[in-house]
Amino acid sequence: MEVELSIDAKKLTRKFGDFTAVDAVDLEVKRGTIFGFLGPNGSGKSTCIRMLCGVLEPTSGSAIVNGFDVAKEPEKVKRSIGYMSQSFSLYRDLSPAENLRFFGGIYGLKGADLKRGIDRVSELVGLGPYMDRQSGQLSGGWKQRLALAAAMIHEPPLIFLDEPTAGIDPVARRSLWDLLFELAGQGKTLFVTTHYMDEAERCSQIAYIYLSKLMIHGTPAELKRLPEVTPAGTKRLSVATDDPPRALVALKRLDFVQDATMVESEVHLMVKDSVSAEQVHQALMSAASIDAREIRPIEPSLEDVFVTVTRNLANI
Amino acid sequence: MNGFWSIVLKEFMHLRRDRTSLVIVLVLPLIQMILFGYAINFDVRHIQAVVVDQDHSRESRDYLQRLHATQYLDFVANVQSSDQAADMLRRGQARVCITIPDGFARTELQGGNPQVGVQIDGSDSQVSVRATSAFQAPPAQLPAGTPQARMTVLYNPTARTATFMIPGLIAVILQIVTVALTAFSVVREKEMGTLEQLMVTPVGRLALMVGKLVPYAVLAICELGVILIASDVVFDVRCHGSVLALFILSIPFIVASLALGLLISTIAQTQGQALQFTQLTLLPSILLSGYISPRETMPGWLYTISSILPATHFIQATRGIIVRGAGFSDLIPQLLALTVISCVLLTASTLRFRKTIA
Repeated sequence: MEVELSIDAKKLTRKFGDFTAVDAVDLEVKRGTIFGFLGPNGSGKSTCIRMLCGVLEPTSGSAIVNGFDVAKEPEKVKRSIGYMSQSFSLYRDLSPAENLRFFGGIYGLKGADLKRGIDRVSELVGLGPYMDRQSGQLSGGWKQRLALAAAMIHEPPLIFLDEPTAGIDPVARRSLWDLLFELAGQGKTLFVTTHYMDEAERCSQIAYIYLSKLMIHGTPAELKRLPEVTPAGTKRLSVATDDPPRALVALKRLDFVQDATMVESEVHLMVKDSVSAEQVHQALMSAASIDAREIRPIEPSLEDVFVTVTRNLANI
Repeated sequence: MNGFWSIVLKEFMHLRRDRTSLVIVLVLPLIQMILFGYAINFDVRHIQAVVVDQDHSRESRDYLQRLHATQYLDFVANVQSSDQAADMLRRGQARVCITIPDGFARTELQGGNPQVGVQIDGSDSQVSVRATSAFQAPPAQLPAGTPQARMTVLYNPTARTATFMIPGLIAVILQIVTVALTAFSVVREKEMGTLEQLMVTPVGRLALMVGKLVPYAVLAICELGVILIASDVVFDVRCHGSVLALFILSIPFIVASLALGLLISTIAQTQGQALQFTQLTLLPSILLSGYISPRETMPGWLYTISSILPATHFIQATRGIIVRGAGFSDLIPQLLALTVISCVLLTASTLRFRKTIA
């Protein structure tokens, strides 16, 4: 079935006793996109995913996944999705080939179909030379590729990836993301959770969940332009110096600086609109005798977006 | 001794947080003491006896009355023929058969020593030793008019320990392996996160559960075969009854053990906990099942507990078939008991399993 929206959740809610783990979350995920689902640990991300996978029944609200209602047709939802968990959750004592055969069998693949499926996914993730090793002996990156292969054995149009790159090396991380882009290019929808900002930047859409509620959602560029991230009458500056740590301490103490943080050896500031670059330069000079090399206006980063949104809520 | 006190303090802090271990350390020994204290009792009394009184006289009744007063024997039945009595012994419904022949009273009144036939089931050597001594109690030089018991120990006349222990051991070993294997196989999937992965696939709950149990059931049945061969070859304990009946009776016992393992797997979160629970279930099966100490010696409440243990009924069956050569039809009560227990356990564990993995 061809549907425009891979996920269409409306007021999706799950309560555990008195505790509301997911509170009226609305989500729309378009087909063929990489959707970044972010939020601190314990904010309700996993509960939300478990509902979208048809494993956990919502307390109220609804979610249509690949055209199936998660509450009414959980079995059809399960058949139409792939799921890759953050910790390696395939059988370590079996080989990749045996793992793929097992999961293919679970999804009802048999004989020639099963063999074709295994060949297809193992070629896609490049598992060829490792097919007969012991899965538990593979490196973190290869384990994740195997898990992804297993999640795709039944050709699901939508794949959930729960922190797919947690704890793997940068090279493996880059190549896994290249693979994800390739899949998205083929029309697969990828629903990814991550704590890495650079990975969030790579997503076509982002949703940020905090304290069980969906805080913000949109493209990375849209999120950076949100008024609550850079409130009216404020702006962000980047200060380059030869002594960044001391500059950060000094700048934080200045009374016109609302927020300061270190990003790639430069100090990022949030100040009132009326504060000029020259003013910052002089204040830093007189406070710590540091001569700033360059002070320029910048856009907020995604990290700024999430930190500000989270802090705004904590202050209320 | 650098850091000695820090380590000591830290260990106590772990203990305080880990309530399960604390309970196991403090409460379990108490339970063990009570179980061992009550269950292990070699002073066997109240041995079940069947009477064939062919004399029907006041004297024969007096004789039985005196035997009963020793407290060693409880008369469970009065039957007409020795065939019926033999059946009861083979089935394990009575351990001793006393046959008072016609003419008992006449011989006694004439001042002779009337002969009484006593058949003792030797499959539980502790019971048979006690029963033997109950009849030997009168002095060797019989005064005039005193009945003389002519004892025959059936089935294990030499009171070999192996003949007594091995059939019970079969049940215990079978239970250890099946309970542990099942509990571990599910808990391992929990620990490794593979159960979580399975839950997002369309695999059915029932398919998952039955699929996990069947291989271990097959394994357990193969194991039974291996043990039976080993007990014959190594210990010279041969199966006198129908091997087929033994395998048929083992099925509900294995199912009950698998269900128990499944039940443990729904409670235990780690393999370490699963091991502790497995040992916990094993203790009563060893102490209360009649494997070591006869159930006749247990106080009533303990006897009741012992009758809901699958091992109790299966040990009765293994001793019956292997030692006494009992047939399938002799062990229908055990089959029924095992079937009921396994159904209850399977239902309970299925319900809990469905709930915990949902």
